[in-house]
Amino acid sequence: MNKKSLGFTGVLAGFALAISSFVVPSASAASEIVVWADESRGPNLTKVIAAKGDWVPGYTVKIVTFSSFDALKEAFDKATDATGPDIVVGANDWVPTGAKSGKLAPITLTASVKARFNPTQLFDLTYKKSLYGVPIDVNNVAMIYNEKLVSSAPKTFGEMVSYYKANKASKNLKAGLCVAGGGMSWGAHSVFSALGADAYQFNSRDEIVYNRTFNYPKFSNNIKTYLLDGKKSNGFFPATDTGCKDNFLAGTVPFAVIGNWEWKDYVAKGFAMNLMPVPGVTADAPGKMFGSVSGAMLTTYAAKHGVSAGAKSLMTDFFASTSGQVAYQALEGRPPAEKGAQSSSAVSAGQKGFGAAASTAGIPQIGAFLNNNKGGANYWDSAPAFWTAVLVDNKDVATESKKLANIWRSNTTAGKSDL
Amino acid sequence: MISVSRGKLALTAKIVLLALISAIFLMLAQSAFAQKEYVIGVFLFAVILLTLFTYLTKKSIPLKFFLPGILLLLAFVVSPILYTVTMSGFNYKTGNIVSKDEAVLQIQNRAFEPDSAGTSFDIKIGTFESKPAILVSDIENKRYFLSTFEKRVPLSNGAVTLNEYLVAQSAPGFSPLPTDQLAAADSTYSGKRFIFKDEYFLSLEGLDVAIVARQTLTYLEQQDVFKNIIDGTIYKDNGRGNYQAGLDSAAILEPGWRAPIWFENYSKLVTDARFRDPLIRVFIWTVVFASATVLTTFALGLLLALALNKPLHGRRIYRSILVLPYAMPSVMSILIWGGMFNSEFGAINALLGTDIAWFQNPNFARTAVIVVNLWLGFPYFYLVSSGALQAIPNELLEAAAIDGANPRQIFRKITMPLLLQILSPLLIASFAFNFNNFNLIYLLTGGGPRNSLDGEIAGATDILISYTYQIAFGSSTQDLGLASAISLIIFILVASISLYGIRKSKVLESFV
Repeated sequence: MNKKSLGFTGVLAGFALAISSFVVPSASAASEIVVWADESRGPNLTKVIAAKGDWVPGYTVKIVTFSSFDALKEAFDKATDATGPDIVVGANDWVPTGAKSGKLAPITLTASVKARFNPTQLFDLTYKKSLYGVPIDVNNVAMIYNEKLVSSAPKTFGEMVSYYKANKASKNLKAGLCVAGGGMSWGAHSVFSALGADAYQFNSRDEIVYNRTFNYPKFSNNIKTYLLDGKKSNGFFPATDTGCKDNFLAGTVPFAVIGNWEWKDYVAKGFAMNLMPVPGVTADAPGKMFGSVSGAMLTTYAAKHGVSAGAKSLMTDFFASTSGQVAYQALEGRPPAEKGAQSSSAVSAGQKGFGAAASTAGIPQIGAFLNNNKGGANYWDSAPAFWTAVLVDNKDVATESKKLANIWRSNTTAGKSDL
Repeated sequence: MISVSRGKLALTAKIVLLALISAIFLMLAQSAFAQKEYVIGVFLFAVILLTLFTYLTKKSIPLKFFLPGILLLLAFVVSPILYTVTMSGFNYKTGNIVSKDEAVLQIQNRAFEPDSAGTSFDIKIGTFESKPAILVSDIENKRYFLSTFEKRVPLSNGAVTLNEYLVAQSAPGFSPLPTDQLAAADSTYSGKRFIFKDEYFLSLEGLDVAIVARQTLTYLEQQDVFKNIIDGTIYKDNGRGNYQAGLDSAAILEPGWRAPIWFENYSKLVTDARFRDPLIRVFIWTVVFASATVLTTFALGLLLALALNKPLHGRRIYRSILVLPYAMPSVMSILIWGGMFNSEFGAINALLGTDIAWFQNPNFARTAVIVVNLWLGFPYFYLVSSGALQAIPNELLEAAAIDGANPRQIFRKITMPLLLQILSPLLIASFAFNFNNFNLIYLLTGGGPRNSLDGEIAGATDILISYTYQIAFGSSTQDLGLASAISLIIFILVASISLYGIRKSKVLESFV
């Protein structure tokens, strides 16, 4: 290298260092607690946090919003020490996989904080006896009926089917009952249950029974009676959820299972929140709907970012507090999980209605059972496949019901060790 | 004079540009090292050195042109391939995501249990004798004490100042941390063990709460085992990325780590019927789907190109309309088609007066996939066929006509062979593209229908890439190692097809 080149290099090095000192980003502030949330919760959390800036004195809280719930999940799955959040607001069924993969960190709540929640809600966020988050909102579905079509609440499943058959042609009904919220597995559980098939069984003391599954001969008979004409679907209950909401809103479906996150859409169209469980075959046995919670979950990244204590304080002082949940749910519009917030006058009738429906006929969504593939498939995959097999492919109901029962029983038995 | 100043200007611009590039890469390298991504850091540093060497010396003029391409190729093609190859040799799945060091650290962090009563205390963070300490308030028993990492100092009730909730705020020798210093001191206090009683310690669960807990596991580094302090159980490295007690594969500590299992992911694809059978079925459908797509889109595109190749009233309008499906974002088109094919409420069943379960029946779902892809793909072949038709000299066609050939013979013997000669590389490229047409399958059918009741992993319309996605991300248990192995097989297949296309089209001849 000659003198000229050396000179160039020197000048260049000087330039580079000077410029890099401008462009090198400062490390993220050690006092910043980063929370990831989806497109609905994120903006509302941002507003609530901004309105009262000192939820955790000495720290700032940054909410990162993702374009959808799926995008949030994908980003969290790919998060690294550098990019990961300190707290993630997600579904309770993220707990087993997040804990297994070392992304979620356990948190121990004091007795007074625990007392603010229903034990089953804390159970939803528990994996192998460790708690990984605090419940924020209750997720559940409930059935509503179109009062312009149906004058009073149906008492039995058969009553709904009879109405559909009698009015199908005259009222141009596209279906009788459909699932508008929660999909053909989670949302449709109350229909499974109404016809006699529950994902897992409880005894009279509300304890899980591991060696018993639903009575599949009885369930298949109910399917034959209420959903089939011979071997084919009678059109009362579609095998997919596509178009259900639009058709219910358009008045071509009289009964729909809707999610509590979208009740405002129905109210906006003039529907009354006549929320109820899906009626059972008999009036005293309504279908049980899954009740689950979304939670603010502590991640292992919080400790790596040096904000572990601050993040835990944010979880208990904001996410698990009455004032935090009231302020947040006033914008988000879901039923709050915290007991004080549930009884607050600031919570709307729709939010309370779903809460009441859940307490009438709800069972906890247990990720350890539902995510389990030990039976050859998990609940999430096998439930929609059952509807397709029976209502679309016209397969033998008894055979398919038996397969379903075996899968769910295997899932439950195998998931026992994860509780 | 002008050329001298131009030269200086160019030199100055070059130095500024190189300085900027160096600065940006220096920043990225620094960030990579800070995040312990050493391979990326070294690569970025090498990029700086190579860039400076190339553009400040005259050692290699061609390299000045090729370097950006080579670097991008290395960063975005070669390294992902190498990473995928590497990961295919690992037990890399849900539960086995982090490194072994990280797994050991996390097991240690989780290796405690709260006392059976779930005791917790209000605390105040600060220092005592210049060391981190917490001022603990046992409100229930009206007792107060200081706790450090080494000792516990009882305090008389008169020695502490209490707030309205009876939580101690100050004590002799204890300096509470001001609010503005709490965040900076977080890691000094979090996860640490403050002395309590016997084997129990105090651990922070927030800035003002500590719980009573005890350690349950200890890591014996020399033997590389975890020992349960309470019941004596030993957890050994099982060679598959977990510490396991005895032979019970369910008795493992979590999280696990990415452990090398060499060729097991590949052998599983051959020996394990649960993976082999769907893979074969998916491969066959992938070939059928890609072939059918190329054939149908080419046939329709060519037919329309031939029809509009002749003078026709309103030809421009027809041409514009035909290009519309190509101009519209394919994601939108696919979703609209998805709605139209809906069994209960879709427009197609309504128009046909049928109740076909398009996405629930395997054969109808496959038909729908090909129909939608025909819609999306024919404008491309219409455009390229139109161009190719115009490149065929009219003299040839006129000569054939003079020799007595009829239009069908002219098409079969002259137009088609010449067209195929021109369009072969595009047909092969289209085949390779559709071989990996993930968007269409994912958005239209999600790979389904899939008979999960019979334990099917692959759906009827899954192609290799969507099947791989299903394995990698499609369920709560992600098997990234196995997905990497399948990805590599797809890569080899697509690379072979592309190589065949390149050889066939002889596009590299000019470089030889």
